[in-house]
Amino acid sequence: MNKKTYVALLLVVGLMFVAGCGKKEAPPEQATAKPEAAAAPAAKIDPATVATVSGVAKFDGAAPKAQKIDMSQDPACKGTNETETVVVDNGNLENVFIYVKDGLGNYSFDVPKTPVKLDQQGCRYHPHVLGVMAGQTVQILNSDNTTHNIHPSPKDNREWNESQPPKGAALNKDFARQEVLIPVKCNQHPWMKMYIGVVKNPFFAVTGKDGKYELKGLPPGTYTIAAVHEKFGEQTQTVTVAAKDSKSQNFTFKAGAGGAGGQ
Amino acid sequence: MAEQLTPDHDPIVTRSYALYYLVAILLLVVSLFWALWDEAYGQRPWKKYQSVFQERYGAFLKSARSQSAQAEKEIQGDSEYRKLADAADAAEKQAAPAMKKINEQLKEVSARLLAVQNVFTDKRAWVNAKVYEIETDDSESGKKSKQRDLDKYKAQQFTVEFPDGSRKQFNFEQLEEEYTALREEKARLNADLGDLLKPVNEAKTKRDDYLKEHLVSLTPEQIAGLQKKTADWDNKIVQINVASANIVDRCESCHMGIREPVKLTPASMAVKGAKPDEYAHAFVSHPDEEILKIHDPDKFGCSPCHQGNGRATTSVTKGHGDYEHWLWPLFARQNTESGCQTCHAADMKLSLTTGNVGQVISEGKFLFRQRGCNGCHRYEGYDREPEDLLNVQQQIKQKEEEQQGNLRQAAMLTRQADNAPDNATANRLYAEAEALKVANSRIAGQIEQLDFHSRDLLRDLKKIGPDLKEARTKLNKNWIPVWLHKPTDFRPTTKMPNFRLNDEQIKAISAYLWQMALTDKLPAAPKGDTTRGKELFETRGCLGCHSIGEGSEMQGGDFAANLTRVGEKVNYDYLFRWIKNPRVRTRPYCPYEKKDIGPEDYAKHNLPYQIDFEHSTCPNDGHELQVEQMTVMPNLRLADDEVADIATYLMTQRQKDPASYPEAPFMDDPKLKAEGQKWVRHFGCAGCHEIAGFEDEGRIGTELTVEGSKPLERLDFALQTKKAEEGKEVITDKAIQARLPEGPAKADWYNHKGFFEHKLAMPNIYDQGMMKPETEKLRMPDPHLNKDQIQELVTFLLGSQETSLPASYQYKPEDWRRDVQEGWWIVRKYNCVGCHQFTPGQQTSWQNVRRFQDPDWKEQFPPKLLTEGARVDPEWLMRFLANPALSQADTHRNGVRPYLKIRMPTFFFSDTERRKLVRFFQALSQQPMPYTPERLPVLTAKETDMARSLFTSTAAPCLKCHATGDAAHDKIATAPNFLMAKDRLKPGWTERWITDPQSISPGTSMPSGLFRKDGDHYVFAGPTPSSFEGYDKDHRQLLVRYIFQLTPEEQRRVSSQAGRAPAGKKARNPAGSTPAGVQ
Repeated sequence: MNKKTYVALLLVVGLMFVAGCGKKEAPPEQATAKPEAAAAPAAKIDPATVATVSGVAKFDGAAPKAQKIDMSQDPACKGTNETETVVVDNGNLENVFIYVKDGLGNYSFDVPKTPVKLDQQGCRYHPHVLGVMAGQTVQILNSDNTTHNIHPSPKDNREWNESQPPKGAALNKDFARQEVLIPVKCNQHPWMKMYIGVVKNPFFAVTGKDGKYELKGLPPGTYTIAAVHEKFGEQTQTVTVAAKDSKSQNFTFKAGAGGAGGQ
Repeated sequence: MAEQLTPDHDPIVTRSYALYYLVAILLLVVSLFWALWDEAYGQRPWKKYQSVFQERYGAFLKSARSQSAQAEKEIQGDSEYRKLADAADAAEKQAAPAMKKINEQLKEVSARLLAVQNVFTDKRAWVNAKVYEIETDDSESGKKSKQRDLDKYKAQQFTVEFPDGSRKQFNFEQLEEEYTALREEKARLNADLGDLLKPVNEAKTKRDDYLKEHLVSLTPEQIAGLQKKTADWDNKIVQINVASANIVDRCESCHMGIREPVKLTPASMAVKGAKPDEYAHAFVSHPDEEILKIHDPDKFGCSPCHQGNGRATTSVTKGHGDYEHWLWPLFARQNTESGCQTCHAADMKLSLTTGNVGQVISEGKFLFRQRGCNGCHRYEGYDREPEDLLNVQQQIKQKEEEQQGNLRQAAMLTRQADNAPDNATANRLYAEAEALKVANSRIAGQIEQLDFHSRDLLRDLKKIGPDLKEARTKLNKNWIPVWLHKPTDFRPTTKMPNFRLNDEQIKAISAYLWQMALTDKLPAAPKGDTTRGKELFETRGCLGCHSIGEGSEMQGGDFAANLTRVGEKVNYDYLFRWIKNPRVRTRPYCPYEKKDIGPEDYAKHNLPYQIDFEHSTCPNDGHELQVEQMTVMPNLRLADDEVADIATYLMTQRQKDPASYPEAPFMDDPKLKAEGQKWVRHFGCAGCHEIAGFEDEGRIGTELTVEGSKPLERLDFALQTKKAEEGKEVITDKAIQARLPEGPAKADWYNHKGFFEHKLAMPNIYDQGMMKPETEKLRMPDPHLNKDQIQELVTFLLGSQETSLPASYQYKPEDWRRDVQEGWWIVRKYNCVGCHQFTPGQQTSWQNVRRFQDPDWKEQFPPKLLTEGARVDPEWLMRFLANPALSQADTHRNGVRPYLKIRMPTFFFSDTERRKLVRFFQALSQQPMPYTPERLPVLTAKETDMARSLFTSTAAPCLKCHATGDAAHDKIATAPNFLMAKDRLKPGWTERWITDPQSISPGTSMPSGLFRKDGDHYVFAGPTPSSFEGYDKDHRQLLVRYIFQLTPEEQRRVSSQAGRAPAGKKARNPAGSTPAGVQ
């Protein structure tokens, strides 16, 4: 009898110890060191398979006549100057910014080391529409004999406004985030306006006098191509290109559209 | 012994209780161990938390340390770091030979010093002892003999053996000299060593600082310290104990990461590969470091902000206070900011320089006022004017009584003096009587001030809704009952809540309001042009507060009414008067007589019927009249034709013909009036509106100042109690369910949060299923709030509690911070934030107006007021706020920025409010008050020439954009006139402004980069005029002095010299007649 009790007691004690000490957990491994960015390796473009998309930006309807700008308020503003909002030649629309808006997935692109130039000459911007990659340097020159100030008013980038003396030293600026189009103006010469398209990829172009554009070096895939005009807003088209393809994609802007702000 | 007979069933032999005992023992043992276990662990769940924390945090630190070491290595690879490190090494190397020499010398000197010291201290002790004996010896002869001994001793020669083995003889004096000389030598050498090491140490500090500054996280050494602390941790209760405030918070016993100097997130504290568990969530660091910095947990604890039971350590539920017997459960995550209200009840706006902490509670506070909640519910601190007014009136009464008393007393004293027995007594009594008369004069001065103050208060008194005495002059009669039926049907965004009125109530209320309204006729107003009216409406400033268009078409502010259908409800003549000056009343109200005073009252006293702030006393009794409409709407100082254009445009804003509203003949039925009065009183209409016969009506709702700490049983869930406890939703309408911040109920909502949320989403929810007569139904109308608004208001209400914290914890600052606190009440009262930006990133109403999306129109935004207090002279600001046109004659303009289409309106602030606003701006920029203007040195003739040449050079075309007062030029100007600078601006600010305006008002038209730093001063960045040759002072200062001393003549002279072509020709310009936005 006594023995049994002891045995039982021991059993209970033993059980308690087991219960009390048995639940020691191994220290958990931590998940902290894992960098999040390395989710998917950046894909590389194979130069042997790249395709091209090109086309023309058309204008449908009667083009408004370019108006002469009166620059008499500043004698240093020499030459003639006309409005550049809608420039149409033979139905071809100039100054349309065209870029790959979507479809590039995981590709990552190096930012070109060479700057793009923006010149102020004759109290006018050259070019009127400028494309640049996010992070790429924009070198701003003042070839005029008067002071300008460069004042972009972006939505998603940092706003700045800087003075540049006559023929002053070049200003080097960049835009960190994709934004199409950022209006730029000079407060002292209110007619001076231009637009900058900032894109995360190198596939962008601005239509010339003939309305033509070309996006080269695209890896095979399906893309949303956007054409943005300062007055008529944005149009998009989907284009699928196979390896070494050459596709054509035109855009047509109508006179009545836009005005109220595009997008 | 006879043989004993054993019974058949001897229990001792045949029965055993062992089993029972065993069971009992087992039970006892089990319960003993259970008790031990419970004591050690069951009641101390935090122990488990602490050991888990030790493991996970340890592992976290380990990886953090290797990352940090990696980062450290990378920084050490920087060329900049290498440069600094090399410099440190070079400095060390350079100092090495000299250091070696000094160290050797030091060693030698120290050894010599020691040798001398050994001998000297011994001798000095003897001498000192002898001197003491001489001093204390009573006899003259004894002194003498001892002196002789001393002299003899001092003349003795002592031998010092130097470390190099040499010996030298010294008498006591020489010994002392030698000792002092050696000590000085040693000190000098040490100082030399310090000088030598200084550059070395500086270089090393630079190197180490660079590392610290560039290392984002902590340094590996710092992390190692944390690791050690964590590894050495012994389980214990961590508590904050602030005896003076009766705070005992043991929260950190489990939330151990809350104050750690590294950012801990649930993901970083989770077991690898697993989702963050309860532990991971408990171990995070406090989400807002900045707020913790201001509210040091060692002073404030945790529970004053978060609530919960800070003392409880036995379970998570207990600690969080989520049980029946604890009255202050932890605030839900969505309502965390309720806790701010504990100490910040006196604030209208809470914010930090970074982050958005304080937004929810601030919006809640604002909504409470903006939606007119305080029309029915008293809340301490809100709508203070009527209470202050009453208070002031009582004070005046008291003072007047005091005066009477003094007069009586003085008369009595004079009588006593007249009959005094002697002159001395008489003179004393006369003096006392005179003192009383003088005191009365002082009291008269006080009364006068109180009178002024009460006039101010009368002016500050506003109502959230319009004056219904004007119902007849203003409104389309047939529109009134339609509106009352359900205001949101007519105007979805209206502030007016929906009062579930039945047809009889609507008829009676409409009839009462109509019949009680003033019957005066307004003069016929001239008609204007719709197109111009639209343009003016969208650009003059109306959209700063009002919106127009519905749904996605809506643009403008949400502070005041949406005017999409205003043409259906108003009379044109009234609208004209209202837009011209919204403060004009048809009749002034006399609070003393309690009636509206009319021309007949003035005629009786042969007075002209003129009512404004200068003519504000009652013709009948001289009491102060309410001469203004009690609206916050300001006067835009529009010319009559502009008023007509806008009014005409607004009359076109309708969705149906006003004539198509069904006739409402019952409104003239006198029998309905009494019934109407009853319902107007019942529903508390006068809480928001001025209504004849209800001028002094009190509030009808319950006070909400401490509603959050009302015991739960006193919140009447009525028939919904059971469902609330069961966590069932009682609102069935999907549209109303969508107003609940967290959607339909999923868990027990029998708590304050649940009550408030349901009440605000559907105020009559607690009437559901009850059979009540009309007069006993819940009166609270439906404020039709969305879920964000309900969340904000509930956060505010939950925090509205009686606090046990000492009064010193209340945020009631006495310094400049009080000015900030008071200012926000006014700024939000008049919606200054609708047009102006006060903090970077704050949205104004203009940012969503379509026209203003164009970059050219962005220049037309009202100025940002980010550093207003540092910018303007407070005296000037006082004048400007009183008259933003800065002119008595020409008022249809902006005083400072004539080029802006949006006009700064006149708010008719009382002096009190104006002064508070000025102090607010100064305080916001932390400028001391009163302001001491800087005196700028007068320019010499040469300096004037230089400054002028810079001012007019093509490289600094100041006058291209700044207005000059020349009408032709000012048409295209986009910046203020320089002539105003002297009175308006602070010179220091102006200097900072012309250096880098973009960092003061981001986005301004004024460009940065006009000056560049050259050594210790700034020079002009462009080509400098030749007169500057040899000038080595700051160019900015010169220019600022010139601007501050500019005279109109000088400005005329230089602007004509600047050779600007006359701007009369057509210039393309946004402020001109063709706005660029609608090309």
